[in-house]
Amino acid sequence: MDFNSQPAPEPRRSGKQELTNMNPALEYHQLQNRRQFFRGAGLKVGGIALAQLLSQRALAAEPAVTGNIHPALPDLPHFAPKAKNLIYLHMNGAPAQLDLFDYKPGLTKYFDQELPDSIRNGQRITTMTSGQKRFPVAPSKFAFERCGKSGIEMSELVPHMKGIADNITMIRSVFTEAINHDPACTFAMTGSEVPGKPSLGSWLSYGLGSESQNLPAFVVFTPTVKNPSQALFTRMWTSGFLPSKYDGVKLRSAGDPVLYVKNPPGVKPTDRRNMLDALGKLNQKTFERFGDPETQTRIAQYEMAFRMQTSVPELTDLGKETKTTLEMYGPNAQKPGTYANSALLARRLVERGVRTVQILHRGWDQHGSLPKQIKEQCTDVDQPTAALIKDLKQRGMLDDTLVVFGGEFGRTVYCQGKLTRENYGRDHHPRNFCMWLAGGGIKTGMTYGETDDFSYNITRDPVHLNELNATILRCMGIDNHRFTFPFQGLDQRLTGVEEVNPIEAILA
Amino acid sequence: MIGFRMVLSLSLGASWLVSAAPVTFNRDIRPILAKNCFSCHGQDEKKRKAKLRLDLPEGALTPVKGAAAIVPGNLDQSEMWIRIITDDPDELMPPVDSRKSLSAEEKETLKLWIEQGAKYEKHWAFIKPKKHRVPKVAANPIDAFLQQRLTKEGLKPAPVANPETLVRRIHLDLTGLPPSLKEVDEFLRDKSSNAVEKLINQLMKRQTYGEHMARYWLDLARYADTHGLHLDNERSMWPYRDWVIRAFNQNLPFDEFTRWQLAGDLIPKPTMDQKIASGFNRCNVSTGEGGSITAEWIYRNAVDRTSTAVEVWMGLTAGCAVCHDHKFDPLSAREYYSMYSFFHSAADPALDGNKIDTPPVIKVPQPGDEERLAELTTKIKKVDQRLVQAVAKIEYTDPAELKNPPKPTTKEKVWIEDGFPAKATRQGNKEWKTVSKPEPVLSGSKAFVLEANGLEQLVIGGANPPLVVKKGMKLFAHVYLDTLNPPKQIMLQFYSGNWEQRAYWGENKITWGKEGTASRRRIGELPETGKWVRLEVDVAQVGLKPGANINGWAYTHFDGKAYWDKSGAEVTTDPAKDPALSWKSWKAQKETDRNKDLTDALRKRFKSKDPVKWSETEEEELRQHWLSNTYAGAKEALGPIKAEKTKLIAEQETIRKNTAVTFIMADLPKPRQSHVMIRGQYNLPGEKVNRNVPAFLPPLPTKPKNRDYNRLDFANWLVDGQHPLTARVAVNRIWQQFFGVGLVKTSADFGTQGELPSHPELLDWLALQFAEDGWDIQQLISRIMTSHAYQQSSTVNRSLLEIDPENRLLARGPRHRLDAEILRDQALYLSGLMVNKVGGRGVMPYQPPNIWEPVGFASSNTRNYKQGKGEDLYRRSIYTFLKRTAPAPFMASFDAPNREQSCSVRGRTNTPMQALQLMNDIQHVEAARNLAQRIIEESGKKENERIKWAWRVVTSRWPTKEEAQILQTTLNKYYARFKQDQESAKKLIDFGESKPDPNLRTEELAAWTLIANLLLNLDEVVNKN
Repeated sequence: MDFNSQPAPEPRRSGKQELTNMNPALEYHQLQNRRQFFRGAGLKVGGIALAQLLSQRALAAEPAVTGNIHPALPDLPHFAPKAKNLIYLHMNGAPAQLDLFDYKPGLTKYFDQELPDSIRNGQRITTMTSGQKRFPVAPSKFAFERCGKSGIEMSELVPHMKGIADNITMIRSVFTEAINHDPACTFAMTGSEVPGKPSLGSWLSYGLGSESQNLPAFVVFTPTVKNPSQALFTRMWTSGFLPSKYDGVKLRSAGDPVLYVKNPPGVKPTDRRNMLDALGKLNQKTFERFGDPETQTRIAQYEMAFRMQTSVPELTDLGKETKTTLEMYGPNAQKPGTYANSALLARRLVERGVRTVQILHRGWDQHGSLPKQIKEQCTDVDQPTAALIKDLKQRGMLDDTLVVFGGEFGRTVYCQGKLTRENYGRDHHPRNFCMWLAGGGIKTGMTYGETDDFSYNITRDPVHLNELNATILRCMGIDNHRFTFPFQGLDQRLTGVEEVNPIEAILA
Repeated sequence: MIGFRMVLSLSLGASWLVSAAPVTFNRDIRPILAKNCFSCHGQDEKKRKAKLRLDLPEGALTPVKGAAAIVPGNLDQSEMWIRIITDDPDELMPPVDSRKSLSAEEKETLKLWIEQGAKYEKHWAFIKPKKHRVPKVAANPIDAFLQQRLTKEGLKPAPVANPETLVRRIHLDLTGLPPSLKEVDEFLRDKSSNAVEKLINQLMKRQTYGEHMARYWLDLARYADTHGLHLDNERSMWPYRDWVIRAFNQNLPFDEFTRWQLAGDLIPKPTMDQKIASGFNRCNVSTGEGGSITAEWIYRNAVDRTSTAVEVWMGLTAGCAVCHDHKFDPLSAREYYSMYSFFHSAADPALDGNKIDTPPVIKVPQPGDEERLAELTTKIKKVDQRLVQAVAKIEYTDPAELKNPPKPTTKEKVWIEDGFPAKATRQGNKEWKTVSKPEPVLSGSKAFVLEANGLEQLVIGGANPPLVVKKGMKLFAHVYLDTLNPPKQIMLQFYSGNWEQRAYWGENKITWGKEGTASRRRIGELPETGKWVRLEVDVAQVGLKPGANINGWAYTHFDGKAYWDKSGAEVTTDPAKDPALSWKSWKAQKETDRNKDLTDALRKRFKSKDPVKWSETEEEELRQHWLSNTYAGAKEALGPIKAEKTKLIAEQETIRKNTAVTFIMADLPKPRQSHVMIRGQYNLPGEKVNRNVPAFLPPLPTKPKNRDYNRLDFANWLVDGQHPLTARVAVNRIWQQFFGVGLVKTSADFGTQGELPSHPELLDWLALQFAEDGWDIQQLISRIMTSHAYQQSSTVNRSLLEIDPENRLLARGPRHRLDAEILRDQALYLSGLMVNKVGGRGVMPYQPPNIWEPVGFASSNTRNYKQGKGEDLYRRSIYTFLKRTAPAPFMASFDAPNREQSCSVRGRTNTPMQALQLMNDIQHVEAARNLAQRIIEESGKKENERIKWAWRVVTSRWPTKEEAQILQTTLNKYYARFKQDQESAKKLIDFGESKPDPNLRTEELAAWTLIANLLLNLDEVVNKN
């Protein structure tokens, strides 16, 4: 850990210098502005052909400036953002809404009875249970409670989340189309079942730019779990058809925390500094030789890389966190690679200006032995999740940080496999599931949407995942209709081709 | 069509408004209408409002209820115009709620167009290319077209790049590797006018050319080594990758290249390569996820294959028409599904089964394999003949037929005597103590002794060769029980896969196994004490079957002391009754016993047939078989010949086992009926469709009488020379490869939403020439590279940058960052680490921990990355194993696609993550150290010589004084530092699997390693200049 001993580097250029024309990066930036101006002017003075040649769309869509000059798109945000940052807690594998948040007291009397046809309605089900002769109702074995002043219903599985009930909006009527994990996760994270589309975080980096000079704009955690029974895919945090600089950067628990952030063995930060000084001078000569603005961007990016070598270890060093804070996140707070540690780091990242943090927690696919397994899952996430909300709140950060919690679909009321009062399993159920949101732009203590007595169909206020994403964008100051990128002949949107709108009812 | 006159008025004063150049539909109008109007007034019938379409003149010019949207030349009568300029928000077009609006310039342009007669044109890319006259401004036609245009813009081409820059550019562009110093020198020495041409021709003959070219194609083909969805297990597809390399090296013409990949399986009597090539259609991602619905995946796979083919060959984004009529291009959903129908009857299963070899597959022998297999078959045949001859020479008399049959003989095989059998080792914790006379010894010079307290034993295991059990075999051991302290129980145990073979004498104290079974069989009372006694166990008593192997043995006591000596097995043979010696007694066996010695074919023929019913010929046939295979007396005569045969067969099997498989395309015997899938839903089939091509493109030839159209017809149609898109799309992509941007920037979209070509005449000329040259890819590349445009200097000044930031006019040469693979390959090549092995299964070079593991499904066979060793670490990047859900960081961070879908053009980003990787990745640091070693060893002793040499190796040019000085200063700092810190220096040079040269001074090598690391990070080195 050579870089730990490295003091924070002096800023390479003072702010004052940046205002002069001596700064090549700035110069280039101005050139970009001129180009933009020129683009506008060109249309008036006979540049239609020119505009096409220079690719009006492409220019608008790809700010050529990269790196620490990483601004928002010129027309963004569309309106004043309520949230500056997003923390997305993705429970991968589909948590059972019936055992966590969608309370159905009436089910007890239906134990082991056939799910009424009027409820099932012949909907398609996965081939894992489509062969079952019976579809017996499996009531949740867990006790529910109305929590806080708001009375949001939660089960005994999440005792700590009960304490934040008054800070969140619980949506009980989210739905999606995909019936299997891979397409459903891909949809939840990219707005499309088919691979190749940018992830939510990449869209935000592309649109809103970066606020951090020392850290990437989009950071991802994939904490270790006991039972990694579902796969993740890099497409859940990569940039699809957007330039790859908008990829999420993984903060890792094994090996380098950020890929290649550590110097090779035997190389000290001073050695690196010496190299970068020489490299910068030599690259400047190259710029003089070829005049390629990318060379200047490269000089800036090497400097950013050097800063990351200090800022990343500083980020992961929890030495300055108070005992109270650490205890709040639970026993695993200081153990790298855990969900608790990731949640705490998420707060630290947001504090340092990182736009989007995504934690992907696996192991929620309970086809069998649900009560035992979901308990383990909740032990892992319940306390740190609640702590994150409280921590953000006590620091006044919850006002401009949006937190999202949920999976890719829900689980069936009917049992998969053997059913007893104490043990059961549940199959995939995309028709309704629960997610909650908290923080910047979202109402507090609200329950939205309703399902029927079997948590099988939505009876009020359905929320498609696209609408949820539209809502997230709205909180971040973006109009999902206007937020597009041209690809494959279509103005692509995170929220798809159909017209969808944010859920106004839950917006504060 | 009016033509592609691009009035490019770059000087700000001139304007087509002033010069009144006519507005053209394709260039000026269609983009405006497409952006603002077509989603409601275009080709999608379902979304069309007011039954008005503006994409066709018939729609726009025909009056409805007395009013036409457009009346040519008459603005006031044109309803469209009236609606555009109205103040009434209810009347306004585009409507307020569409969030679309026309700018003042766009309105002005539309106005002019209507005034000038509102002439429509068919979209340029859907009209066959036309041979334009080559302007006479330059010798090379490419330059002629480009320069004519530059002149119009008041620009001039740049001078030729200096030869050092040029030689590196050409090498990188043709082989993906930089030139060696020798190659640089050779090029500099060659002053002939065709030096570049010679170099090009020479490089195109290299293996590295095919490897480099294949890379671009594999992006299009979405080639990878895993299935891509859910488990993301390994798939065996690499023979296809190797074929693509081969195809480029053989310069397979593009029309054949097309046919083989889209329909190699349908070519009459397809060759191995044609079948492998058809795997293009199988490169799509697939799933084996439990719970998936078959119909959905048959549909999805066919959509992927259709859309990929359409994008790769026709440069169209057909994906839109999956759900609805294309809004902008004249492609209806019906037409899309007519093309889909070509791919819809593929014979592969909907779900991949998570298998490495999801059918249909073929086995692909490696070079030399087939020859060797044929050779082996011949050899085996010859050995068989010798065997027959040898059998014929056997003079056999059945002992059972003799008047005086020979007496039974007993043969003893001693296994333990004074020591252990071959390869056997002591097991358990008890040492084998030996005694010599005068203590009790039966034979040899020693005996073993065991004095037990409770349960104790002497154990050996791992004997090889094992003791092979024969019918009627007896296992024996000699024991001498101590008179004063006899054991309560003694036991013999035999290991044959497990220890469940036990025989004992005396009390029943030892509780292993189950009493009364082979796992604990009582043979009798304890033998007499004070004397040597032979213990015997029939193999049947302990459940050992003939043929079983015994490779472990134990002497076990409960209490007491005993001596053990000479042990082994005894077989009694009665030649007259032994089926291995007497034909008569073999025949007399039960059928099941006889069957063991027969081949499948013989077993079948003689099933339930009693020997008395055998004909004479049949009996003789069996007898011959018995003599050559079962008869023990023939061992000496036949043994060596048989051993020879066994060896040959083993080799044959090894080759067959190691033969790779690769996915190929095949159709079901009975085609599926295709439908328009409503809104792209797999479970909503609409109208039935037949195989056909879209109406806006040339038709297929007349349908054959005896069959439906198939993929081969589709492929032929693409390359028959009539198709307006195929050649244009292909040459544009090659152009993009060399210049960074295509003549059509949107190389995957030649539709109306794509960009217009910057040089339409040039594109047409290249496309027509390409087809005329017999679709010769190398010739096309040669044409491009011998142009001045390609060879000119890439230096740019500010005013040119402002006018043409993307270098579309080519007033300068191309300069851009090297691709992911080239960056890694260049480092390996310059350091001398690169291993030039061609082809084979993907290898696993260095990769940081935890790239695969955190995303992998627990039961995936690609969950854990198993980093390779030795040469696997240094192969070219094209051979790196490509896992779709977690691609190698060296690829992903430099914009390589993850191959989940076809990719026509890679991004070219510039990020801090890339900087960290090039500085700190073990692959680059190790390469730097090896380069440092080369610098020290190859360039001489003087430091300034070394610096110059090093600089030139990585850039192909000499450093300037200043550059050399900067390096020298830095080198001095590193020297000083590592002299004082040998430990760090050592750590640095030990990084990586390759070993540093021990003859070099540690601090010297460390200092140069960092200099080499710096050199490999130079902007000039990570770019093609």
